[in-house]
Amino acid sequence: MMKKTLALLLCGVMSMALLTGCGNDGAETANTDGTNETAEDAKEASDDKEAEDQASGERTTFTVGFDAEYPPYGYMDDNGEYTGFDLELAQAVCDMEGWELVKTPIDWDSKDMELNSGSIDCIWNGFTMNGREDDYTWSDPYCDNSQVIVVAKDSGITSLSDLAGKTVGVQAASAALDVLSDEEQQKALADTFGALQQFPDYNSAFTELMAGSLDAIAIDIGVANYQIESRGEGYLVLEESLNSEQYAIGFKLGNEELRDIVNADVKKLAEDGTVAELAEKYGISDQICLE
Amino acid sequence: MDFATILQQLGSGMLKTVGIFLWTLVLSLPLGLLISFGRMSKNRLVAVIFKFYISIMRGTPLMLQLLVVYFGPYYLFGINISGSYRFVAIIIGFVLNYAAYFAEIYRSGIESMPIGQYEAAKILGYSRTQTFIKIILPQVIKRILPSVTNEVITLVKDTSLAFSLAYMEMFTIAKQIAAAQTTMMPFVVAAVFYYIFNLLVAVVMERIEKSLDYYK
Repeated sequence: MMKKTLALLLCGVMSMALLTGCGNDGAETANTDGTNETAEDAKEASDDKEAEDQASGERTTFTVGFDAEYPPYGYMDDNGEYTGFDLELAQAVCDMEGWELVKTPIDWDSKDMELNSGSIDCIWNGFTMNGREDDYTWSDPYCDNSQVIVVAKDSGITSLSDLAGKTVGVQAASAALDVLSDEEQQKALADTFGALQQFPDYNSAFTELMAGSLDAIAIDIGVANYQIESRGEGYLVLEESLNSEQYAIGFKLGNEELRDIVNADVKKLAEDGTVAELAEKYGISDQICLE
Repeated sequence: MDFATILQQLGSGMLKTVGIFLWTLVLSLPLGLLISFGRMSKNRLVAVIFKFYISIMRGTPLMLQLLVVYFGPYYLFGINISGSYRFVAIIIGFVLNYAAYFAEIYRSGIESMPIGQYEAAKILGYSRTQTFIKIILPQVIKRILPSVTNEVITLVKDTSLAFSLAYMEMFTIAKQIAAAQTTMMPFVVAAVFYYIFNLLVAVVMERIEKSLDYYK
């Protein structure tokens, strides 16, 4: 009996080993097949570095928190690496300072917790400063933005007033939601909606729009353009926008030291044309507000 | 992004998923047994404490527990957390949660053993520890295996909750690819991955069950 139990335990351990073995094999093929280092590997390597640099007290890394589901500002590109306008700009800043950029994708709903607890240095990801002025230490705004409404082309909705009684989607914890729930801004408009539905990400919102369970989406103009461009015909951005606002980099309240360094660098990058170049690449040239 | 890249990305995510799965299993199975001892303790106070623990772990969502474990050190004690704590927090969260469920499964198995077996063992001169390890536990394992399989399969799917801490396991990556490519295809691939993983788990567990069936 005892022997059998032992044999059994061994059997269990071996099957575990088998499972792990399979997993590891998968990883190796993934790494040798792909010429690109995955975003993941890069992140882990820098996690270790981060620990080291905290010990010595000198800044060698710069950890940017971003929503990896927010193209064109921060997303996963065709090679599986994190990229986007904001991340490339952050990379440029790091190049100037000799820091290593750590791209940390975060759950957007937990951004304050991530920032306050020190697991990221800043939120840099199409981050609207209007209405949040007192909650973060802000850099100078670098990008103009407006919140717009996207509808299906054949929906017959052409103005904000047509939205009365309709179901409108918006990303949870987003600036668009703030605008729609602020009394001084578009709360009155939002009250005319049939329902205001919150989504974790725009992908599911657009799918619902296509499927017809949603009539309109309140969204940042830059994101709207990216979505419509990659999804093709059939969408319409209403000409009336909900508001106009600005993007800036958000640092933990009181972290002026880091803010000032990054701010000065971004200014320099705007002067030497790097910012304009990047904006061109990501199709948001009209929105840049740095001189 | 071509299909091969999606597979490769999700494959690297799968590895993280397997990592969470194995760590959780290896740590929570023994811990569950200890907790079940605490829960069945003759000391009323100890029993009540463990009962409370199980009640909290089963009564609150795992996603919330993960957030508490990860952000708790900062919000409760003001300790700055670093990115490398992310994985540790996930494992702690999963292990504490799953150990509570496993504890109840162990308890159901242990308490189902007829008292006659203890009496017989005592007459044969077995000590309490010997009785448990040599007579009770092997039968318990046999008896609880189907319930454990249930939990283990649930665990495979629960690993996706790690996305709430933005850990790059498979589901998080699937969501990111879906957002960048504006397609739902990565979710289909993820579903297939999960299914295959669970099929493997089910087959392994069935094998173990069969080999335990030595009296038939």
